[in-house]
Amino acid sequence: MTDIQNNAGRGRRRGHATRAATKIPYMVKSSIIDTLKAKEKGKILAYTFVYCCYDEIIRAMDIIPIWTENYSGVCGAKRDAERFLSRAESLGFSRSLCTYALCGIGFDQWREELGTMPQDAPWGGQMKPDLMLSSGQVICDPRYKWYQAVQQYMPDVPIYTVDLPWPVYEDDLDLPSVESYYIEYLKEELHGLVKFLEKHTGRKMNWDKLSELVDLTERTWNLIWETYELRRTVPTPMDTGDAMNTMVPILYMMGTQEGYDFFLELNKELKEKIKRKEGVISNEKFRLLWGGGLPPWFALGDFNYFNSKGAVFPVEVTYRVIEPINDLNIPNTNGPVERIAWRWLRYWTYWYKKAKSRPGSEPDVERLIQYIEDYRIDGVVVHLASSCRTAHLSLIWQLSQLKKIYKQIPCLFLESDMIDIKQYSKLHTRNMIDAFIEILESNKEKRGNC
Amino acid sequence: MPRNNVFSKVERYYRDYGARAKELKAQGIKVIAYLCSLTPIEIITAAGFLPLRIRGDTREPITIGDTKLETIACPFLRSCFDVSLKGRYDFCDGLIIPHACDSITRTYSVWRYSIGITYSHFVNLPHKVSETSLKFFKAELTTFKNSLERFADKKISDEALAEAIDLNVENRKKVKALYQSRKSNPPPISGAEIGKILTAGMGLPVSESNELFDECLRQIKLKKEIPLKKRPRIMILGSCLDNVDLITFVEDAGADVVVDSLCMGTRDYWRDIGSVDDPMRAIALLYLNKMNCPRTYREKVGKKFREDAEARFGDIGLLINEFKVEGVILYVYRNCDPFGFEVPARKEYLSSLHIPVLYLEGEYSSGAIGHLKTRIKAFLELIG
Repeated sequence: MTDIQNNAGRGRRRGHATRAATKIPYMVKSSIIDTLKAKEKGKILAYTFVYCCYDEIIRAMDIIPIWTENYSGVCGAKRDAERFLSRAESLGFSRSLCTYALCGIGFDQWREELGTMPQDAPWGGQMKPDLMLSSGQVICDPRYKWYQAVQQYMPDVPIYTVDLPWPVYEDDLDLPSVESYYIEYLKEELHGLVKFLEKHTGRKMNWDKLSELVDLTERTWNLIWETYELRRTVPTPMDTGDAMNTMVPILYMMGTQEGYDFFLELNKELKEKIKRKEGVISNEKFRLLWGGGLPPWFALGDFNYFNSKGAVFPVEVTYRVIEPINDLNIPNTNGPVERIAWRWLRYWTYWYKKAKSRPGSEPDVERLIQYIEDYRIDGVVVHLASSCRTAHLSLIWQLSQLKKIYKQIPCLFLESDMIDIKQYSKLHTRNMIDAFIEILESNKEKRGNC
Repeated sequence: MPRNNVFSKVERYYRDYGARAKELKAQGIKVIAYLCSLTPIEIITAAGFLPLRIRGDTREPITIGDTKLETIACPFLRSCFDVSLKGRYDFCDGLIIPHACDSITRTYSVWRYSIGITYSHFVNLPHKVSETSLKFFKAELTTFKNSLERFADKKISDEALAEAIDLNVENRKKVKALYQSRKSNPPPISGAEIGKILTAGMGLPVSESNELFDECLRQIKLKKEIPLKKRPRIMILGSCLDNVDLITFVEDAGADVVVDSLCMGTRDYWRDIGSVDDPMRAIALLYLNKMNCPRTYREKVGKKFREDAEARFGDIGLLINEFKVEGVILYVYRNCDPFGFEVPARKEYLSSLHIPVLYLEGEYSSGAIGHLKTRIKAFLELIG
């Protein structure tokens, strides 16, 4: 999943990692190994997707989540996704579809056909689940198509799809007038999930435990926000290369004490680094924003390459899927499910008010502007992963609108895929980075001459 | 088909799509462009506007569009966007985009800011079929109605809504009647001709579309020159097909395309709105429950794949029986996640019916379809 996992597999480590981030690969590996042993301990396993807002519900029911995107990412990072992608292709799935899903489907079909894990499966493989939890959101079609497709090869596994819409931004959107029916629907969908889990596990929801986990999640959100804000410091104590590791507790450990403790430790470490004036690199020349796109998991060494040119990424859009809870203005709610629903809705509409105040802006663009200001950014880098429409469509427009309504700022558009290594050219990517750095240097010289 | 007036008119409207909308615009009617079969056109009609579905153009290379939109979007959507940027829909007053797939949804902002239309609205369809999702969708349709009312600066009356629903019910009935004519073997009218009629009708106000379809039906009944040779009966299965390129290729290669499961085909027109006591609920049902599009998730049925496949694709099986289909061409655009993830399941379902199937991945370009000709010929030879 992460560059450290990737590089660890080939005997290298990222040069500028925080101590906390270096622990991530071991945390991921041990969580995957735990799922392999979970059935022996009578645990129930559920396939699920990152960032579906119901992490606490799964955990309160004592169900072990299997994050299927994570396992595909691990295969990609270990440069071992190709055989599963090819297998999915041989089943009739187009290579143009989401490669996370293709890798997962290819793996599952192979495991089901063999009756055991495919040989030398990365980190022991991915267990067959007892349940599959899809979700329908406003974006990401694979979230409801992936498990539906895989049921062809394991039709006995029950599926539940949780619909989780939010209102799409419009200039004339009157948010308060639509929130009530969105919240009502979200609540009903989440309660539907609880009923499904109760039916298939034979357990009852522990509502007190759920409330505790919701509180823990919200404290974790605040702690992550506070920790990441420390990266505003010049020189920045942590960059996106690390954040592609520290996304693990954000996406896979929400609602766990382990996830909270991880950020306590990272927070402490960053404060120490700031006190020592210790940056990611000693000579920080350019501060960059990772403005969107899933990273190429097999090539996170490219962040080191940026670092070697004096460039750091103090902030990124990707995987920063939290906002400070107090700023969400969540109303008083009746129970944890309603609280989750409001948090979800207010998270997705967080940037709407700001966008409305600037003609021609949109929430995604407004967020870029805010980060550019807060983190004193010199340039923006995005990565277009060719198989994912969800996180990548409209990036060209966002950057063009950013220049139109805010200011001219150098932007770099990298292209490959999150796990399909065939889409990647190291030479081309490094050439693109070199050219971009030259532009940044030229801009800096011009500013210096003014 | 004899080149009488109505078919000349069909040909003209097919070639010069949107011409009638432009004429009406000149007379003061506001035209609302929209994408996808999931846009509830009854509400647009009831507001006094002319809904006009955006078509792509397989003969127009995608140029400007690719400078503003990532090429990982579905090629059909990219073509629609490209021709819109080139001014083909500049005369339109508004744009409606529904929550269909990622290619459509993720580009809503890009559309809004790029094509210079001042009014726009996004209709947020839920992904699930259930009583609670229906309730949500009904509320969302009311938000859409309110938005249109603000733009029209007038209320949409219940009578206007009922009239728009009735006109579209009639429209669907007439299309069904057009399809019925293809049940005979050999059919009196080609699949390409039917495709052109439907596309032409889509560019007209629904009342005029009904008149056009009536006239076409009359002409088909009067037709005396019916082909004598029986040819393989083919069904085309896929997402949106707003042109007859593929159908023409198949028919030129020696088969009859007798039915389809496509948007702008049976997926759009084979629906019955049912009771309209509560018109907004009826519209919600029509576009959510009754539109069998893979972007709408239906709860899994049974513990065996076959049971679930029957629930999801049973409507295709019915059409195969009804139209005595001998082979299916499954035509799915590259980069289409909703359909792409269903290809093996659809193939498996069709093979369980013992129907030969040819899967083609498409690029939405007339040149790319040409490259598929050899495979289509080989498939037709296979099924005799």
